[in-house]
Amino acid sequence: MKRNTPLITLLTGAALGVGLLIASMQATPLANAPTGYSNTTSPAAASSATAATTAPASAPATSASSPAYASSSAAAAAAAASPPAHADYAGKVQDGAASVAISIHGSQAIAYICNDGKIEGWLKGNVTHGPLVLTGKNQARITVAYGTGLVSGDALAHGTKYNFAVHTVHRPSGLYTVTALVRGAKIKAGWIVLPDGTQVGSVETDANSATPSAITAPVLDVATMTAVFEGVTLHAVQISGDSGSGF
Amino acid sequence: MTAQPETLPPGRTASGVSTLVVPSVIGGLVALTLGIYGRLHHPTGIAVNIAGFSSPGYVKSWLATAATVFAIIQVVSALVMYGKVPRVSAPSWIGGLHRWSGRLAFLLAVPVAIHCLYALGFQGYSTRVLIHSVLGCLFFGAFTVKMLILPKRGVPGWVLPVVGAVVFTALVAIWLTSAYWFFSTFGIHR
Repeated sequence: MKRNTPLITLLTGAALGVGLLIASMQATPLANAPTGYSNTTSPAAASSATAATTAPASAPATSASSPAYASSSAAAAAAAASPPAHADYAGKVQDGAASVAISIHGSQAIAYICNDGKIEGWLKGNVTHGPLVLTGKNQARITVAYGTGLVSGDALAHGTKYNFAVHTVHRPSGLYTVTALVRGAKIKAGWIVLPDGTQVGSVETDANSATPSAITAPVLDVATMTAVFEGVTLHAVQISGDSGSGF
Repeated sequence: MTAQPETLPPGRTASGVSTLVVPSVIGGLVALTLGIYGRLHHPTGIAVNIAGFSSPGYVKSWLATAATVFAIIQVVSALVMYGKVPRVSAPSWIGGLHRWSGRLAFLLAVPVAIHCLYALGFQGYSTRVLIHSVLGCLFFGAFTVKMLILPKRGVPGWVLPVVGAVVFTALVAIWLTSAYWFFSTFGIHR
């Protein structure tokens, strides 16, 4: 073994790494890039990977140097794509820790973020030119940029930040909710049903509060749109930008 | 490996564990840099990709599996080289096999790691993910150490097998906390 071949191996790997990092920065999506990465639901979702290696002509995203919170690349490029009139999106956030659903109906948007337990929040916003911003209780905030068949952006809920790129969904996938009075307390439940059949859901047990607390929701039977919470049968409605239900 | 006593020019430090200091520091810095980058960088959910697979998760899982297979070849060839396999004597090409399987394992691991760091970042939201993130950094640090001590004279004989074992164990644990989990969750296909 020659003296310096291990070093050559190391440097080759480092060069490969740096090259791929730069290529990744070039390929980081602006609004009209191919489908995002959600390590979730159907693996077939991100199959248009071939385009990723040819960098889009637009300026490279600043995500590597942007401050930890703002996903400025997503927001900055939002001007490139116009908002849809009616659409529903749902999926897991990028590290799978939670799910987010966003529905757009005309000028209104409703979003729900949920980790199947305590972290959840209902948000609403108005569709304008530029990125969609939704806000809710507990300082929840979601910024959305529109893509082709998906939206991407970042969310802040209960002090935790998430990035996401979620795809269009259709019934029975999507966002469901019900508000009810159970033993004198107003509860509001939300479920996000994903195309792979999994669902997450939380119930705010004090929905009137400015800072509601939440617990894991009982399973929603999507066929009958019912769930049983503390012995009470709840009848959920779908929030759908497509049909206008829930708006 | 037989340790030959070295005659050193006067004033040089003795061989032995002191040869490990600089490589260890450099390896530690590599591991730290990856971890800090993974933590500070705002994960994008996207990175450069390879066509022919059904999703980035599959690209990484298959590449990682290939890297792990080459790592197993590494360990087996090392055992043969050290004469640890009964009734098998080391053929002349075993060193070449060991080095090239190692290079391939490393070079396959690099794109997976870049994708992981860039798209997902250093995460701790579950035990699996935390172990993966920590060991991922450790793997590259340990591999750096291994590469840096190989050409060095005077390194104690036990060091190389130990570092090799750390590299291998880390990679297997990384594979278990990622590709194995991914295939179990989403199925084994392209």
